[in-house]
Amino acid sequence: MCDNKNIYLPHLATIEEIVDETPDVRTLRLVFQDEQVRENFSFRAGQFAEYSAFGAGESTFCIASSPTRKGYIECCFRATGRVTESLRQLEVGDTMGVRGPYGNSFPIEEFEGKSLVFVAGGIALPPLRTVIWNCLDLRDRFKDITIVYGARTEADLVYKRELEEWQERGDVNLVKTVDPGGNGPDWDGKVGFVPTILEEATPSAQNTIALVCGPPVMIKFTLPVLERLGFTDDAIYTTLENRMKCGLGKCGRCNVGNTYVCKDGPVFTAKQVKAMPQEF
Amino acid sequence: MPKTITEQNLRLLVDTLLKEGARVVAPKQAGTMALYEPLKSGDELALGALPRRSAKETFFPLCETILTFEKDKGGVRVNDVDPASFPETVLLCARPCDAAAPSILDAVFSWDYNDEFYLERRRKTTIIGLACTTADDACFCTAVGLSPADTRGSDLFLTPLEGGGYAAQAVTDKGKELLEKRAQFFSDAGSAKPLPPAEPAGESLDLEKIKSWLDNNFENPLWTEIADRCAGCGACAFLCPACHCFDIVDEGTEAKGARRKSWDACGFAKFTNHASGHNPRDMQNKRYRNRIMHKFKYYGDKFGQTLCTGCGRCIRACPVGIDIKAVLDEINSK
Repeated sequence: MCDNKNIYLPHLATIEEIVDETPDVRTLRLVFQDEQVRENFSFRAGQFAEYSAFGAGESTFCIASSPTRKGYIECCFRATGRVTESLRQLEVGDTMGVRGPYGNSFPIEEFEGKSLVFVAGGIALPPLRTVIWNCLDLRDRFKDITIVYGARTEADLVYKRELEEWQERGDVNLVKTVDPGGNGPDWDGKVGFVPTILEEATPSAQNTIALVCGPPVMIKFTLPVLERLGFTDDAIYTTLENRMKCGLGKCGRCNVGNTYVCKDGPVFTAKQVKAMPQEF
Repeated sequence: MPKTITEQNLRLLVDTLLKEGARVVAPKQAGTMALYEPLKSGDELALGALPRRSAKETFFPLCETILTFEKDKGGVRVNDVDPASFPETVLLCARPCDAAAPSILDAVFSWDYNDEFYLERRRKTTIIGLACTTADDACFCTAVGLSPADTRGSDLFLTPLEGGGYAAQAVTDKGKELLEKRAQFFSDAGSAKPLPPAEPAGESLDLEKIKSWLDNNFENPLWTEIADRCAGCGACAFLCPACHCFDIVDEGTEAKGARRKSWDACGFAKFTNHASGHNPRDMQNKRYRNRIMHKFKYYGDKFGQTLCTGCGRCIRACPVGIDIKAVLDEINSK
């Protein structure tokens, strides 16, 4: 994108596949229409993009697919407003806009040789799913991989087919949970809030990185649990999901103190987050 | 050799520039107020007036198209906007508080990613500043380190002279070039003295001290005290020469329309509202705090400059009488 004079100009992409994760959460698989863009587009896990439904506007989501999967990108969103409702109206074969990738990323190279604990809640799995697949595609570079994922109800779990895949492969410890009352008769996972279930799972903090994404209340209660388990603040990573428009450090919307989430983030360690003014 | 220009020649200069196809933006009487507006002739120049709004629209329009789109059977076609089509512009009689602002804003529009919509207009604009000889109660440029005779940001600077006319001082190469290229409108300076500059009443502020207080007082009762009155109308941001927050919106229909960049304000309630409904700045005091922090701390942290030129427009226009200078005075006295 940087070589284009108009920094607000999106690439055109075709919707190749649509998966309804829940009644209002949808994943789109996108293929860039321009051959050169398709070949040259690269990103790192954790980066985000601005996605447009022409006529409605742009919305910000992380790139949910893994950088190791070439030829397409995926985004996952809940239809909550004008743009996301318009994106949901689009069908396979339709065109939308994508500009990016923007922001920093998870330092995956630094995680090599370590164990990883992913902790996600609800629709906050996509920012971690990119890292999960990135690491699973390079599986021999990491030690134990634990995924603790929860949602309010079974219906609210996203990437259900991939949860099964992770459950079935022998090299991932998947702990899935739903809030009390959110389980149906055939539920084979845990029942309880994510922080509690994480504590029960007692992953070792020894040589381990924790990656946490979820609603603010989940993060608030998860951090003390990780601390009790022995994780230090610089071994815990999260993303700040601030509202953005330009994604380029200009529109003045996403700052937390003097940190511009779109440029300095969205990925931060718990140590960095704790040093910020509590305004997110 | 110092130069001067008469009022009549200033108006003729405008006519000449217009004739050659340039856009000339200058104070113009618009009903009961003066505004910086594109002129149609030199006669429209309102020399004594302080424009109600700042001059930032010259570089950063209130609303501008950044692309257009059309949908047909073959898909979506997106048309770029070429900043090369922007006209050469002369911003004439910009007050020092307005002339200084774009040189501060250059930093945010050119760090990492270049916003050519802003930067191309900057490249194509020559700023002719005008010293202030009068100030009102809201003016506080001297308190933030500028002055009524400050040439910062101007390419050419005019100072009113006793008996009429203006001393013309080239500040940059661009200004020098204008002086040389338009030599017929300028004379060698005579003995006329410059009129004394205005004297804004506000006391000087210790900006370092203010920043240091802001560094340590993110949580302070002051923010609630001030924001009890703030209506969140955004007038302060829209009138400010340095506020630059914007939104990106689509207009038209799904079939055909334009994507536009529009001014926005951190005082608006939904400015930071998340899709989930969570709003990090859910109270007006948090929004007002961000406004002060951005101007006197964050912009300094990032770009080493203060995002305020002391024009006083936010004070004049605030419907509930919030006075940024009084807020700064209070912080300065702590």
